Amino acid sequence: MRIGRWRWVGIALMVLSLTVAACAAPTPAAPATGVGEAPAAPPEGPAEVELTVWVQGNEVEHWRLDGPILAAEQVTDYKLKVTGIRDDAGWADYKKKFTLAAEAGEAPDIVLSGHEDVPVWANAGYIVEFTECKARYPEFDDVIESLWDSTMWQGKIWAVPQDTEARPMFFNKTKLQELGWSEEEIAALPDRIRTGDFTLDDLIATAKEAVEKGVVEPGYGYWHRPRKGGDFLQYYFSYGGRLYDPEQDKLVVVRDALEKWYAFQRRVVEEGITPANFIGTEWSIWHDTVSHGKALFWNGGIWQWADWAANYVKDLGGQEYLFSFVGYALQPSGVKGQPGGTLSHPLVYMITSEKASGKKNQDAACALLAKTTTPEINTLHAVGSTHLGILKSQANFPEYANDRLLSETLYMLDYNYYQPNHVMYGPYFDIVWDFMVKAENGEMSPSDAARGAVELLQTELGDVVIVE
Amino acid sequence: MSESASTAQALEVGKARYPEEKASLRSLLSPLLFMAPAIVLVVVFFFIPVVIVLVISLTDMSTATGFNNWKWVQFDNYLRIATHPNTLPVLRNTLMYVALTLALFNVGMALVIALLTTHIPRRSGFLFRALWLLPRLTPSVVYIMMWKYVAADAPYGILNQHLLGPLGIPPTNWLPAQPWIFVILTNGFIGASFGMVIFTSAIESIPRDYMVAALVDGCSLWQRIRYLILPLLRWPLLFVTTYQTLSLLTSFEQILLLTEGQFGTEVWSLWAYQRALSNYWGNFQWGFGAALAAVLVLIGVVMALVYMRYFQFNQLVQEPKIEAL
Repeated sequence: MRIGRWRWVGIALMVLSLTVAACAAPTPAAPATGVGEAPAAPPEGPAEVELTVWVQGNEVEHWRLDGPILAAEQVTDYKLKVTGIRDDAGWADYKKKFTLAAEAGEAPDIVLSGHEDVPVWANAGYIVEFTECKARYPEFDDVIESLWDSTMWQGKIWAVPQDTEARPMFFNKTKLQELGWSEEEIAALPDRIRTGDFTLDDLIATAKEAVEKGVVEPGYGYWHRPRKGGDFLQYYFSYGGRLYDPEQDKLVVVRDALEKWYAFQRRVVEEGITPANFIGTEWSIWHDTVSHGKALFWNGGIWQWADWAANYVKDLGGQEYLFSFVGYALQPSGVKGQPGGTLSHPLVYMITSEKASGKKNQDAACALLAKTTTPEINTLHAVGSTHLGILKSQANFPEYANDRLLSETLYMLDYNYYQPNHVMYGPYFDIVWDFMVKAENGEMSPSDAARGAVELLQTELGDVVIVE
Repeated sequence: MSESASTAQALEVGKARYPEEKASLRSLLSPLLFMAPAIVLVVVFFFIPVVIVLVISLTDMSTATGFNNWKWVQFDNYLRIATHPNTLPVLRNTLMYVALTLALFNVGMALVIALLTTHIPRRSGFLFRALWLLPRLTPSVVYIMMWKYVAADAPYGILNQHLLGPLGIPPTNWLPAQPWIFVILTNGFIGASFGMVIFTSAIESIPRDYMVAALVDGCSLWQRIRYLILPLLRWPLLFVTTYQTLSLLTSFEQILLLTEGQFGTEVWSLWAYQRALSNYWGNFQWGFGAALAAVLVLIGVVMALVYMRYFQFNQLVQEPKIEAL
């Protein structure tokens, strides 16, 4: 009897120890062979270096991952084997995945993300400075100078741009014709917006007229993005807002511009050109509506063009169909005489630190990114996904220069602005977004929403934010 | 008495006591061994995480600081919560969400379904209960997407096209227009099945003699429910109410998928999640999010204690008197 009892005790302990063993932390990944021992100099032997790359992107953006895989064949310093993951989840989930992987020492060697992650991930030690890598390979000299600004934090370069884009105000040329606009007037619209002759007030008036005359259905005069995103900040900029003071390295909120931006979001609903309760509409419904020409004005991004052509209007002729009725211009200013603008959001490749990846592959990763940053490879992505190029040489690179959308929207980069590289920008954006939704949905008046946003920014961020 | 004699006597006493102590040790060890798996689970998956959350809540830890550059900030995060303009609205939302979902569906509807399906032919009852399990069986993302298409603006939404449109009600995107209705319906349709299964099983385990006796005494259906079934369901009711309250307090999956906390539907657990793990432009605020989660743990523990006292938990877990005789 006693033996039996102790046997049970033994079995219980064994089960317990097996459970504990199963719950134990996984063994860290073994360091990759090759460059780990002498990172400054390439290995003499043909030892293969395995590099992993994580990118975010949909199917038409597959070159974000396939670009580095293809570029590996061009690298001569190292024998590379590149694998990776193209993640089609939302940005928040993607960033969360990387952050947790980096803290666990299991991050990939190269990660692609928005430039605004540079300060956060650099501060946390997840990524390494890019300055030395940039100086090592001549390919990086071809990158458009202004794009390096988006990769800077504390005066240093931390990443290399992968793509950029413009966020145009798209307009329906056919509907404008039905409204009585001549072909010349329609052709002149982008330039009028560029010079500040056609403002947001004019946009509202035109859309309202289209609704009243039955050219478009009520609520289809102007469609903004249906979900959270930086696009809405363009109207904050349109009314003179700014986000960042580089001198003091502080975030900025301009009270007057904030209120005018919120008032614009509410006005488009009250004037009947945007549906009530519009925010939260499914993306598929939004894409389907705008790409089939049911809205008069809509703000989007040039990368959506490729998505519409491939996934929504392919049966109608794809890009040719879109060119037949869609026009594009900068986002109109809110102030007469002030030029229009557009928000660019360069995605950048970052090299992860040894702490984050558990590997010493930083030099091999640098060599790979050099061969990825070429007109041949970057143009595959730019043309395939309708993103603007990042290289000076692409303006004359035949495949790029012959692309009608890319060449006709290239001028927008002269009027673009970026979101700031500041560690607290994420919480800042969440607050201004939340109050914008309240203003647009009529939960709060625009002035109350602006007051609430400023109050919360001060509570949450303290002296990190300057109120003007 | 010499020293050696007293030592020998002590040894004798020790020998005599030894089997007694051993027996008492053994009697202590057995229940401990039986409880060991539960203790290990609670310690590893609840106690230690709560301690970690409490510790993190006293820091400024975020993505930007990583695990290396953070600082102790004492109770700053809790002070921020106390003075935060969103605290009261979010707390109000949370209480409304838990109370309405619990009362209307997780307990209320569950009880109604259990009572109805146990008073109709057995096969039909089984079929209806199986139907109510469907929302729980459907993957959350698919389930919420279906609801979004129910609510979508014309010409897409099922509500607008087939139900409200024919009645002449102007179309809109019903989800942002009436967000709480959808939040409670989506959660309630899933939550009701849990209580339904528990209550059904409890009703079916009531001895038939009681029912027969009630029928012989001439009880109506309502009297049987009021004076026989409901008193006997007290224990399952306590369990479902307590469990579902705590579950709803910490659940945000459907709200996240449905509204992302927009349109005034932010609840406490979602607030904690979004601060700690899901910021649109990155930089997760682990310290602040942990403080929010710690407050939630406190609320949950207090509510569990209140429920146990209200339902007289101690009496419910006493041994049945019939077996004690």
